[in-house]
Amino acid sequence: MTEPAWSIVVVEDDREIRRFVRSTLEDEGCKVAEADTGRQGLIEAATRKPDLVVLDLGLPDIDGLDFIRDLRTWSEAPVIVLSARSTEADKVVALDAGADDYLTKPFGVAELLARVRALLRRHGRGADGSAHFAFGDVSVDLSRRSVMRAGEPVRLTALEYRLLAQLIGNAGKVLTHRHLLREVWGPSFVESNHYIRIYVARLRQKLEGDPAQPRHILTETGVGYRFQP
Amino acid sequence: MQDEQQAVGTERYGDRSPYTHYVVAALACLAVAAVATPFAGVLDVANIAMLFLLAVLLVALRAGRGPAVLSALLSVLLFDFLFVPPRFSLAVGDVQYLITLGVMLAVALITAQLTTGVKRQAEVAARREREARLLYALARDLAGAAAEPQVTAIVERFMHEFAGMQATVLLPDANDELRRAGGDSSKLAYLEARLALLAYRKGEAIAVDALETTGQAIAYVPLKAPMRVRGVLALAPSTSSRTAHAQIDAILPAFASLVAIAVERLHYVDVANRAEMETASERLRNSILSALSHDVRTPLTSIIGLADSLTLQKPPLSQTAAETAAAIRDQSTRLAAMVTNLLDMARLAAGGVRPRKEWHLLEEVAGAAVQLLGRSLAGHRIVIDLPRAMPLIEFDAVLIERVLCNLIENAAKYSPPGTTIAVRAKLAAHTVEVGVEDDGAGFPEGRRDDLFAPFVRGRHESSMPGAGLGLAISRSIVAAHGGTIRAENRAEGGARVMFTLPLGSPPEIVPEIESTPVEAPRD
Repeated sequence: MTEPAWSIVVVEDDREIRRFVRSTLEDEGCKVAEADTGRQGLIEAATRKPDLVVLDLGLPDIDGLDFIRDLRTWSEAPVIVLSARSTEADKVVALDAGADDYLTKPFGVAELLARVRALLRRHGRGADGSAHFAFGDVSVDLSRRSVMRAGEPVRLTALEYRLLAQLIGNAGKVLTHRHLLREVWGPSFVESNHYIRIYVARLRQKLEGDPAQPRHILTETGVGYRFQP
Repeated sequence: MQDEQQAVGTERYGDRSPYTHYVVAALACLAVAAVATPFAGVLDVANIAMLFLLAVLLVALRAGRGPAVLSALLSVLLFDFLFVPPRFSLAVGDVQYLITLGVMLAVALITAQLTTGVKRQAEVAARREREARLLYALARDLAGAAAEPQVTAIVERFMHEFAGMQATVLLPDANDELRRAGGDSSKLAYLEARLALLAYRKGEAIAVDALETTGQAIAYVPLKAPMRVRGVLALAPSTSSRTAHAQIDAILPAFASLVAIAVERLHYVDVANRAEMETASERLRNSILSALSHDVRTPLTSIIGLADSLTLQKPPLSQTAAETAAAIRDQSTRLAAMVTNLLDMARLAAGGVRPRKEWHLLEEVAGAAVQLLGRSLAGHRIVIDLPRAMPLIEFDAVLIERVLCNLIENAAKYSPPGTTIAVRAKLAAHTVEVGVEDDGAGFPEGRRDDLFAPFVRGRHESSMPGAGLGLAISRSIVAAHGGTIRAENRAEGGARVMFTLPLGSPPEIVPEIESTPVEAPRD
C-alpha cells in the first residue's frame, strides 16, 4: 500500500476499541478519521469520501443498520461491521443491508487487517476490467467463460459457473445465502438455501484440493460464503 | 265462601301428610253446606250446586286428586241430603234432580281430574324453571371463577342449596393422579380414590348404593369437557332423603358438563398464562444475556486488540515486554471464549435456544469447524472422512458447528501434537452418527458419563485450560436436535465422542434444466 494513503472512517462508541483500530490502521499507512456516534460518522463519511468504513453495530444514537442503508444511498465504500451480538441473524441483516464483511468482537489485529486489506484490494481494483482470475491451481477467464485447473479444462454446468463468477466477482466479501440465491438462481429461489450448499459442494469437488477442508470457497456458517483468492 | 277460601288457602301441598288433605277436603264440603243451608229457601238449588262445584275445584287445585274426588262425592251426597227436595233425605223427589246430581258428580270428577293435571304440569314447569335458574346462576358463577378452588366452592354451595348434598371436585395433577381441587377444606370426608380414578379413566359415572352414610361419597361423575375428561365430581348425601337423589339425577349431566367446561376453561387460561409468562421471561433472559454479552465483550475487545497491537508495534518492544503483551492477549482471548461458553450454557440451560434448522451437508459444517479452530489445531492432522453418499441432514449449522468445534478442540487438547484427529460418520436407518476420534490417552475409566455434566473435566488436576463446559454445551445442543451424545475409548487407543442426528427426509433437488456445460476455450 504505497500509493496515496487509503482513507478510512471508524465509527465506534468505545474509546479504547476505536484507539486500537485506529493505531492498527495507521500502522498500515491509512489515514483514519474517528466518530463516536452514527450521525458524526455519516458526516465524516460524507466529507472525507473514505475508501472504507469500519462500523460498530451497537451505536448509542442510531441503529447500525440505518447507518448502512443511509450510507449506501450515496456511497459505494466497503463497510466492515463490528458486532458484539452473537447471533448470526444480526450479521446477515447487516450484510443484506449493504455491509461487505463483519468481525465478531473480540477480534485481533491480524483478523482486522486481513479483512481491511481484502476489501481495499477488491475496491481498489474496481472495474479494471481484468477478465483473468487465478487462485490455487485454478485459472478463470471470465471473458471466455473458461475454467482451467492445473492446465486442464474443467467442465462446469451453467449454474456452477454463475455461482463461481459471483464468488470471484465479490472476492473477500461475505455473500449471504439470500444474495447468492437471488443472483445465481433468481428471485423465486430465496428460500432454498440447500441448493447453494449442494452447488458449493460440487464446485469444491471440482476446484478445491481437499473439498472437505476448502481453502478458497469458505463457509461462513449461518451467514453465507466468502471467496478467498 | 270466605271460610272455604280460608280453609283451602292455608293448605300447602307437600307440607302436611295426605291424611290432612282428606280432612281439609271434607271440611271444605261441610263448610259449603253450612254456609248454603240458611239460603236454602232463597237460592235456587242449581246455584247451590255451583257452590259445591267451586269447592271441589279449589280442593283439586290445592290438595290434589284424591281429596278432590272425596270432596266431589261428599258434595254430591251433602247436596242431595241437604238441598234436593225432599230435604234431609237421600231420596230424590223429582226425577230431573237425578240429572242434576249426575251432571254435578261428573263435572266435579272431571274438574278434579283436569285441575290436578294442570297443577302437576305447573309444578313440573316450576321445578324446571328453578333448575334452569339455578343452572344459569351456576354457569354465571363458574364463568367468573378464576381458579380451581373457586370452582370447588361454587360446586359445594350449589349442591348444598339445590339438593342438600355434599360435593367436591377432584382434578388430575401433573402426574395424572386425582387430587381435591379445594384442598382438604371440603366437608366431604370420605371418598374412594380408587372409584374416583376409575370414573376418571373410563369416563363413566360410578354410583355406590350400598353405603349411604352421611359424608361418604356415593357417586363419582366424570367431568367430560369437549377436549377430554377433566376430573371427577364426587357427591355425598348429607341427609338420607331419597327425593334429593331423584332431583339431582335430572340435572346431573348438565351440571357436570358445566363444571367440566369451567375446569377446561381454567386449564386453557392457565396454559395461555404460562405461555405468555414464558415468552416474557425468555425475552427478559435474552435481553439480560445480550446486555451482559455486550458489556463483557467490549472491554475484552479493547484488551485483546490493544495487547495485540503492542506485539506488532514498530519499533518492536523488548522481548519480555512483547511476551507479556502476547500473554495478555492469549489469556484475554481464553477469557472471552470462556465468557461465550458461560453465556451459551446459560442460554441452553434455560431452554431458550430453538435450533434454526436447515438442510445441510455435514462435510461443509465439519470443514467450517476446522477452519474456525485454525491455529489451535496447527499441531494436529485433521481428517474428515464421511460416507460418499451422505444425504442432506436437517440441523442448525451454527450449533452443530459449535459441537464439532468443541469436540475437535477437546481432542486436540487431550492428544499429543502430531497425531491425527478424525471426524467420521456412520449412517443408520433413521440416524447418522458423527464421531470425533483422537489418538490420545482416552477417557479415565468410570468417568465417561458425568463428562457431559457442566464443569466436569476428564482430569481434575489437569493443567489444561477450560472450564469443562464444552461437552455440556454439546450435549444440550445435540439434545435440542433430538439426538444423543456419548463418549468411549477406542479399542486401538484414544478417545471417541459420538453424537447422533435424526435423518429425516431431505428436500428434492431439481436437476439443472439447461445442460450446456461451460466448455474449455472455444478457439
